[in-house]
Amino acid sequence: MRRALSVAVAAAWLIVPGMAAAADWQPNAAMLALYDKAKAEKEVSLWTPAAIEGSWVGAQFAKRFPGITVNLTADLQGATKIIAEARAGRHTVDNWTFAIAGMIEVQKRGLLANEDWAAYGIDPKDTFFDGEAAATHNFVYTSIYSKAAVKPADLPNTWDDFLEPKWTGKLVAQSFLLPRMMGFFAIAWGPERAEKWGRTLIDDRKMLIINGPSEPYLKSGERVMAVGESISLAYQYQDDGLDVAYRNLDLVPAGQFAVTVLKDAPHPNAALLLAAWLSSDEGRSLYEKLIHEADIRPGSKSALAAEIRNGGAKVILEDLNTMERRAKYYEEYSKLVRGQN
Amino acid sequence: MRLDLRGALILGASVVAALYLISAPLLMLLAAAFRGPEDVLPFESDARWSLGNLVAVYSDRALYATVIPNTLIFVAGAVALGFATAFVLAWLTERSDLPLRNAVFALVLFPLLVPGVVVAIAWIFLLGPNAGWVNLALRAILGLEGDGPINIFSMPGMILAQGAALVPFIYLLLTAVFRAMNPALEEAASMAGAPPRAVFWRITLPVLRPGILAPLILATLVALEQFEMPLIIGLPARINVFSTRIYYELNPDTNLPAYGKAAAVALPFLVAGIALLLIYNRLIRRAERFVTVTGKAYRPAPIALGRWKVAALGFVALYLGFAVVLPIAVLLWTSLFGYRQVGGSLLAAVSLDGYRALFASADFEQALRNTFIVAGLSAAIVTLIGAALAWIVLRTRLPGRSALDMLSFLSIGIPSVIAGLAALLLYLSLPIGVYGTVWVLVLAYSYRLAVATRSSRSGLSQLHPELEEAAAVAGAGWLAAARRVVLPLLAPSLLASFVLLFIVGFREFTMPILLQSQDNLVLSVVMWNLMVANKSAEAAALGSLIVICVAPVIVFARRLLTGRLG
Repeated sequence: MRRALSVAVAAAWLIVPGMAAAADWQPNAAMLALYDKAKAEKEVSLWTPAAIEGSWVGAQFAKRFPGITVNLTADLQGATKIIAEARAGRHTVDNWTFAIAGMIEVQKRGLLANEDWAAYGIDPKDTFFDGEAAATHNFVYTSIYSKAAVKPADLPNTWDDFLEPKWTGKLVAQSFLLPRMMGFFAIAWGPERAEKWGRTLIDDRKMLIINGPSEPYLKSGERVMAVGESISLAYQYQDDGLDVAYRNLDLVPAGQFAVTVLKDAPHPNAALLLAAWLSSDEGRSLYEKLIHEADIRPGSKSALAAEIRNGGAKVILEDLNTMERRAKYYEEYSKLVRGQN
Repeated sequence: MRLDLRGALILGASVVAALYLISAPLLMLLAAAFRGPEDVLPFESDARWSLGNLVAVYSDRALYATVIPNTLIFVAGAVALGFATAFVLAWLTERSDLPLRNAVFALVLFPLLVPGVVVAIAWIFLLGPNAGWVNLALRAILGLEGDGPINIFSMPGMILAQGAALVPFIYLLLTAVFRAMNPALEEAASMAGAPPRAVFWRITLPVLRPGILAPLILATLVALEQFEMPLIIGLPARINVFSTRIYYELNPDTNLPAYGKAAAVALPFLVAGIALLLIYNRLIRRAERFVTVTGKAYRPAPIALGRWKVAALGFVALYLGFAVVLPIAVLLWTSLFGYRQVGGSLLAAVSLDGYRALFASADFEQALRNTFIVAGLSAAIVTLIGAALAWIVLRTRLPGRSALDMLSFLSIGIPSVIAGLAALLLYLSLPIGVYGTVWVLVLAYSYRLAVATRSSRSGLSQLHPELEEAAAVAGAGWLAAARRVVLPLLAPSLLASFVLLFIVGFREFTMPILLQSQDNLVLSVVMWNLMVANKSAEAAALGSLIVICVAPVIVFARRLLTGRLG
């Protein structure tokens, strides 16, 4: 039985196109040469905004490139520490993964290394800041609901459906994520409509604004629908035993995550090897398989990208062109969400 | 008592250490408030002196319309509730014949061990308007429809949660005060025919005043700085206070943390600290009035509660139920069941996976060791330096001792995040090799001299100098007199200070997260990482283990205190 299950899983792995590509993936000659140099460095330090982003990396990287230990540090304030360390001439960070918007301050101080990603098989369209970072995955915004408390017929199809009175006292949203998602909406809808939408949810629908995961609120029944969460979180909640599911609506905002090598990385070869691998087909596939954080940009072969395409939703991707506008919207909407206006 | 060379050296070293440990974060706080522009960190070469942060913060209308009024109401309410509850509990356990006093002592302190985030979530489980257990029960009993009737997401809800959270902190300091007070005065008044109410207002309160003021002032400043309850309970109600304003400045939506603005917002903490210290000094100017421990031995006689015993036990049970049992139940429940819906047999649903995963983690063992080292060493350093400073302030005529006293007190006005940032900058720059190690945390934690100095000063103000003078006449040097006379009599205050600082250090989160490296992980950082990663069962398992690790400290301290004082 167990063998049959294994075979089935392996078959499924091969059937999904993106995963098949990842299964076929092999490091090219440049990467193997880099690995030879990296082995001498023995270790590499990876900084991520949260532990989940990197908790899987060490074991998987060791499978592909044995002999190099990945030391993980999870810190949402990584940018500040990287700048502080650079200022003091002390460098402990090799690699850093973050949303590209959060990388700007470090990038504009010239602390990121410019790499020849193409040599390691990374498509130039998958790089940012003229080669100082490479794409890994997207943070895909969605809504998560309690399956026991929300009937299928009551599920929303568009973000505007949440404005209906039936959702009064039933919604919850994170103060960190909601304004960011509204920033994407402002790009698609215009800022006035996005603000009105958020204000109505908070003032009229009595949406609960929280400063952490919505998991305990969905679990206790205090709220039944979390607005503006990520698909990855939905899977985490399920893993924790919650009877929840996600619901993609008419718009799918997607934050862009990337990996970078620090200019003064103490282990430069291991750092470049790790970054190139994380951005490779295999790395991106593992992001999706292990923590459900998929690449959904145009051309992506991930299962989630296909699911969203088939659902007919419009994807709004984070890009460098709209960065400043979105930053301005985040700031305004955050004040609204936190009651500071 | 005259100082000899060894005494002078010890006190001199203490003064230098105190100046260093406090001045660095304080100067950093002040400097950061005046460094700009906003998109540059205070220490970067592009930063320049500027009033921009102060202008931006204090020209914001919302500050005066909502933040300041909310803060005043929140702090006043929480301190009043916390102090009243702690005073009653301290009196019951220290001065009355309440049954199970030792157990109550340990249990009252338990909330100190439970991470604030867990306590806040426990309150939501209890008083959430839709699904809070109390609301569900009230709706069922009263036949009500809809949500409520109690809403934790409100100002009264915030006050209730914060007031309960302050109780152990105030209680710990108050018990030391009650313990150090000679009840002979009360007994004499009673024997002279004074009714209990007159004894309380005319004897007990005036004698306790300096000891009471210290925890009251400290609790006010702690309430100002606390941000877990305002963030978790106040945010849904969209109630902003000073601490959440600082938090938002440090966690901006875009760009880097606005340390300059955060420091500008934090400056009122310092002003409040100075103002409260001036009030405090004025009230205890004639310290001789409060000397109740002299060379005579005494043994407190417990006051019989009589028919009030049941009511007293009910009060204790109510507090313990809300502030102790529930948060710990939530912690244990989550560690064993995660957030799973439990149906059928509870035993079948129990899972130790959270604990297993934790013990299998390499980070856990290292973090456990580091946490004990950092919390223990920093608490010991601060307690000893605090005692030395208190002695200098009360027993010498050293020029500048008042300034030293004020400086030590100001440490409580420095938010952890500023202290952490200061340590980050300082030890990145100093070529002494402590950055990234566990020692940088010991140094960073050791700025909190206010608690130790206040606690030692309260204790020392009740010790008559004639005891030390008698030791000197008998031939003892300064060190011998300090070791054999002063320190043993100060032990309750010192232990209270050590225990409090140890627990604060054990739970400290802000500084270690700022200073974290692979080599100096502590339990709070590991727990935070687990929570952020949504590994709720592992995080709760770690929270439970933190409780288990720190609980013996409280029991040990209690035994020492009761053993020493009979």
